[in-house]
Amino acid sequence: MLIPHPLLGLRDAQEFTYLGDARLIERPTSGSEADLAEYVYLRDNPAGVHRELWFHEQGDRSWLVVTRNTLTHEILGAELARDVSLARKGETA
Amino acid sequence: MPDLSPLCALGAATPRRVTHGALTLTETPDCGLASLALRRDTPPPALDLPGPGRWQTADGLTLIWTGPGQWLVELPGAAETDVATTLAGKVPGASITEQTDGWVLYEITSSAGAAPIERFLERAANIDLTRFAPGSATRSPIEHLGTYVLRRAEDRLGIWGMRSAAESLWHALDGIAARLVSRG
Repeated sequence: MLIPHPLLGLRDAQEFTYLGDARLIERPTSGSEADLAEYVYLRDNPAGVHRELWFHEQGDRSWLVVTRNTLTHEILGAELARDVSLARKGETA
Repeated sequence: MPDLSPLCALGAATPRRVTHGALTLTETPDCGLASLALRRDTPPPALDLPGPGRWQTADGLTLIWTGPGQWLVELPGAAETDVATTLAGKVPGASITEQTDGWVLYEITSSAGAAPIERFLERAANIDLTRFAPGSATRSPIEHLGTYVLRRAEDRLGIWGMRSAAESLWHALDGIAARLVSRG
């Protein structure tokens, strides 16, 4: 499986470590215990398109948000998690 | 003060060198290394810094991109000097850490042009050779050891690996080069 790294081009998936659902970026800031419990414990488990965090551990050590189809393993895109996070902060600011 | 004798990473007083067919592997202990990271408030450096997947020389240094805002810097022939201070003078305000003694550098040269280097590389690392022309540098595992691989020229590679695994990395590289000869 090849992952289209936004900076380095196609890189082999074995260079990456998988973390899981990209919604981990969206840590709640409301202070509500229920929101935090949901953030920590509850995940969607979609059969189909899923956004996930991958770490380029054997490469440039950047975190990526990879969009992958969990049924076909097709990789639909990859972005730097940093950019995703900054864009999100820009929206909420 | 005891009388100390410096040793190379592979344990001998002189650097190891071996030739298999067209390829020559050379341990290169005299190159200094430091890491460079630009901080949010670092003034824009006067040095020209390479972009992702590239290396370039500037002001007697070889700069290797290692990640967003981060580089490794080679100071050829300066391993026995204070490389962090030298680099800090050239890039004021950046985060700089001396790395020389944590790493080992092997240079691989070919006496028969690019072909032996490319045959070597396609066995050693999972690197797309169509995107690895001279001027390219990337981090890639070689036999499970994290390394930085630099394409210095068509017929020349530099490979930085962990000094604590110097012998293991040499064994991997030496074996690949030897098998290229024995299998033709």
